[in-house]
Amino acid sequence: MDHLLHSTQLAQLAFPEAVPAVTMAHYLFVSAAMFVMGLVGFLTRKNMIVMFLCTELMFQGAGLALIAFGRHHLGADGQTFVIFVLCVAAAEAAMALALVVLLFRHKETLSAQAWKELNG
Amino acid sequence: MDTIISPIALYLICVLGALGIAAALPRRNKALEITGGLVFAAAIGLAVLVLGLNATESGQPLPNYFFYPFAILALGASARMITHPRPVYSALYFILTIIASCGMYLLLSAEFMAFALVIIYAGAILITYLFVIMLATQAPSSASEQFIDETDSVAREPVISCVIGFVLLAILTTAMFRGVSDLPTPSDPETQMALAQDSVLLNLPRKVDRILDRAGVLQDHERVARNEDGTAAIDIVNRTITIENTDLHTVRLLDSDQWPDKLAAGNLDRLGYNLMHDHPMTIEIAGIILLMAMLGAVVLARKHIELEEDLKAAQARKLGDSMSPTAGTGNA
Amino acid sequence: MINTTFLTSTLAMLQDGHAVDTHAPAVTHAATQIAEVGTGPKWILLIIGLPFLTSILCGIYAMIGNKTKLPAWTVVAGSGIAFLTTLAMYMSFDGTPYTVHAFDWIQVHFSSEGGDKSMIANFSFYIDTLTIYWMLFVTGLATLIALYASEYMSHDLGTSYCRFFGAFGLFVFSMACLVMGDNLLMLYLGWEGVGLCSYLLIGYFYKKPEAVAAAKKAFIVNRIGDLGLALGVYLTFVHFGSLEYAVLFNDPTLLGYIESAKTGDFSAIPRMAQWIPLLFMVGAFGKSAQFPLYVWLPDAMEGPTPVSALIHAATMVTAGVYLIARTYPMFLTSEYALPIVAWVGTITALLSATIAMAQFDIKRIMAYSTVSQLGYMFAGLGVLTPTGGVYHVLTHAFFKALLFLCCGAVMHGFAGQLDLRKLSGLRSVKGWGIVTLGMFIGCINLAGVPFTAGFFSKDTIIAEAFVTPGASMIGWILLFTAGLTAYYTFRVFFRVFTGPVEYHAGEEHHGDDGHDFHPHAPGWAVNSVLLTLTVCSIAASGLYFVGGNKDTHTKHYAQTMVMASTANYESPYSKHAIHAAHDSHDPNAGAGPRGTIDHELSMPIIGGDPHKVMYYVSAVFGVVGILLAALLQGPKGWQGLFIGGRTNAAECRMDPIARMCGPIPKMAENKWYVDEIYHMILVTPLRIISHIFHWIDKLLVDGLVNIFGFLPRLLAWILKPSQSGVLQGYAVSMAGGVTILLLVVFVIILQGGVA
Repeated sequence: MDHLLHSTQLAQLAFPEAVPAVTMAHYLFVSAAMFVMGLVGFLTRKNMIVMFLCTELMFQGAGLALIAFGRHHLGADGQTFVIFVLCVAAAEAAMALALVVLLFRHKETLSAQAWKELNG
Repeated sequence: MDTIISPIALYLICVLGALGIAAALPRRNKALEITGGLVFAAAIGLAVLVLGLNATESGQPLPNYFFYPFAILALGASARMITHPRPVYSALYFILTIIASCGMYLLLSAEFMAFALVIIYAGAILITYLFVIMLATQAPSSASEQFIDETDSVAREPVISCVIGFVLLAILTTAMFRGVSDLPTPSDPETQMALAQDSVLLNLPRKVDRILDRAGVLQDHERVARNEDGTAAIDIVNRTITIENTDLHTVRLLDSDQWPDKLAAGNLDRLGYNLMHDHPMTIEIAGIILLMAMLGAVVLARKHIELEEDLKAAQARKLGDSMSPTAGTGNA
Repeated sequence: MINTTFLTSTLAMLQDGHAVDTHAPAVTHAATQIAEVGTGPKWILLIIGLPFLTSILCGIYAMIGNKTKLPAWTVVAGSGIAFLTTLAMYMSFDGTPYTVHAFDWIQVHFSSEGGDKSMIANFSFYIDTLTIYWMLFVTGLATLIALYASEYMSHDLGTSYCRFFGAFGLFVFSMACLVMGDNLLMLYLGWEGVGLCSYLLIGYFYKKPEAVAAAKKAFIVNRIGDLGLALGVYLTFVHFGSLEYAVLFNDPTLLGYIESAKTGDFSAIPRMAQWIPLLFMVGAFGKSAQFPLYVWLPDAMEGPTPVSALIHAATMVTAGVYLIARTYPMFLTSEYALPIVAWVGTITALLSATIAMAQFDIKRIMAYSTVSQLGYMFAGLGVLTPTGGVYHVLTHAFFKALLFLCCGAVMHGFAGQLDLRKLSGLRSVKGWGIVTLGMFIGCINLAGVPFTAGFFSKDTIIAEAFVTPGASMIGWILLFTAGLTAYYTFRVFFRVFTGPVEYHAGEEHHGDDGHDFHPHAPGWAVNSVLLTLTVCSIAASGLYFVGGNKDTHTKHYAQTMVMASTANYESPYSKHAIHAAHDSHDPNAGAGPRGTIDHELSMPIIGGDPHKVMYYVSAVFGVVGILLAALLQGPKGWQGLFIGGRTNAAECRMDPIARMCGPIPKMAENKWYVDEIYHMILVTPLRIISHIFHWIDKLLVDGLVNIFGFLPRLLAWILKPSQSGVLQGYAVSMAGGVTILLLVVFVIILQGGVA
């Protein structure tokens, strides 16, 4: 326990800069860019596993924004929310991978294009 | 300069990023992919430059230079992740993205979340993904070792998706740069931060008791005095501690120079307290979501084995045989 | 052609008469009588309720599958009690009109520019002498004819029987509503009700295409008239603000209009008020089968004969006469309404008489004679003698019902045979004596043989036409028509009932062959009804001599009844007015306008007062007509008189004469091609227009509709590819939508000046 505490204090010492030095907007830009990257990946990649990976990337973008806001407000709520984001991401991963396995069994391919039964 | 350059530079970054990603997305044209990657790298460079200039312009102290490598790493890895034709590499690049963002978490003094992210995401979830990728992809035969399935090697509608995505990015960032300036900033961030960090100690009197005891400050029958609402009687600003003797019912004040070094609330204390004290119901809901996800995964991925009637009978007989010791001889 | 001067001059004389007749209130200010309208006893509602109840009962009988004559007895009992109630009402009537309130029906209160108004049309009944007069013969004849029909319709026992009597009861109810209603809306209700019953009963043999076509024709032609009536009712409310008789006929506005009409100053009456009687007139023409709209009535003979007798001869078709008599004060306010009524009636009388002369179907002859006699009634109303018109309604109701029922008996007995060329000498056939007697009495009434009811009533109308200035032409035409009437009436009688016995079965006979045909003589019910009606027809002439009232100076029953009602306006030249003037011992009676009547303004006939001379002149016309009929159509058997007459059913002396007349008899037999002309000028253009509109509908309207149906499909066809079924396609749409939305919001915020 002490060691862990110590290490966090070390981390604080290692990066002594107060966050506003690198303004919120920097982190938010990175988070938005990650989110958009995930979005683009989701829209363009045909492999279902990669699509779900991209959703995880979008989660990451959201998580980064939450942490940044939490730091800005000096509260722990942002980190708490990231925990819940993690929960949802884990649940999503479980379901998504189960679905992928199921769909792969049916069509022997991972392509999302293979499922067109809903076309008009 | 900020007001003129930022939006223009920002939109330029977005356009460059869109061009780069659109070109770099998997297609049967290696040269274009590489060009796209270079353009995207240029976009990231420009972004870092603009962000750095922005930080300088805003009169703040020089930005933490650790932010830039992590940002470059995160964006580069995520770009590579969505452009790489092989899912396994995508997953690995995603791990890199996570690690980079963990660095930024550390910069944002979310140490616990940083390590938890590495453990949960990189350690657990991504490994599951890798398992599934391995499981669901046929091993390429020797004849087509270099051949990648069309599903992975050609992206669909890259241009329109990139336009949508990066227009969205432009809007979001414009809004952010305008909105961030409206956010209330703590007057003295460091003090405020320390106060915010340690104020959680008020709610943890027994932890304070324990730390003081270990530091050797307390004598027998002594403990931190409790306020009427049960919080510890600690003055965080002046760093004094009121200690009472439960036996003699006397009270003494501990000066700030006697404040033990160990008496400080870490990130974990605050996070744990916040989680348990402010969001107990959400934890329950999260638990239910996870449980349902587990059940759902089991139900979905379960393999339906259809057995013929006689096969079932044979299976049952086999089971019966293995139970009874004499069955083997009868068959022979 | 229509001479409108006589009304203005006559009404101007009315004004003069008003100056003179201060002692003869009946002529002028009788409307004040209506001011006191009492409330009557509730048992009067039986007259309305019982027929309605019988109608419902017949429906129930039909549902439970009754196969007896129960419906007939129900309707006979219901109508009979209604008749007795009417009689009781008549006996207890003390001269003051009253209303009987059943229940509140329509009460609309609204505010307009002129303050709060209300439209009140209660289910109430207005009882005055005119109502009683009408209801007496309506319920009485309904009872008798229901009794007749109980036998006549007996071959249809079962559901059809119930249907017949159900409609019959409903008709009596509707007619009672029409006649007794205390407001114009009730009248309209009854008007439409009798129209409906007429439609149902004409189409009673709905499996016969002719019957269906006739029913449709009657209904559609009546619609034209009903539209006129509806518009008239509407306009009445708009102009006078009330529909209730008790209010309407005491309306100072209306009385003012009448006063100014009496001075001949029609310009003082708003054009809107003058339109009301014209619209009512159109309604009356439709229902009472007058000239442009008469074509439905002859075809209506497709219905069962009792229906023809009751609805299409005695009661319903006189509803138009009732309407005009009831709203007579309003007719006085129009410059043109009464002259048009008079002339249309006259033309109708002449036209249908000529058609009747050339027909061979005896029922159809009776139908045309009905149209002709209705024309007489309208002419009577038009020449300012509602008394004559209304009296003719009563006498005509009896003898025409009698004639129809006789024809019906013949038709029934001879398996639907109605062609007078195939029937002869029925008076000599055993069991047909009463029918022959009834037919004879009916014929002499219709022909206007002296001292019959028809003689007196027709005479009144013709005489008044002669005394009315400017209307003598009407008188001459009516007189000539009276001769024609006598001829065609006795043509039927002589050919069918006299001469050698010869008959051929009609098309309803389904025996082995014609030789085995035996006509079946009418039974007790038919005979008793015929006898009763015969007696009534004879007795109706007695009404010309009884029922006078000294107070109102009326000379006979019908006059008494009319003069005590709202129709109490009369030409100052009328016999009644002159009598009234004489009776009042007015010193000016011999001088002034009165003194000049006989010599200057009116058309003297053979140098005498038309009122007196007409008795002889019209008698001569009638007898000449009968003698002509005897000469041309009579049988050989009357030796000494007409040697070489008709020896068989098919041929007569008229035939060579008719052949010499060229195409005219043929044209008359074909009803002057009126139906064909209507078909050409109305139906054909309508059909062409409807074809045009059909194509417009198909191309333009349907085309528009189809375009609107096609556009979504086009849109769907364009948008269909977006429904690709590919998950990421939808995701792209969603992300694009979010982006555009954000962009829009962001632009709006920037535009809103958020720095």
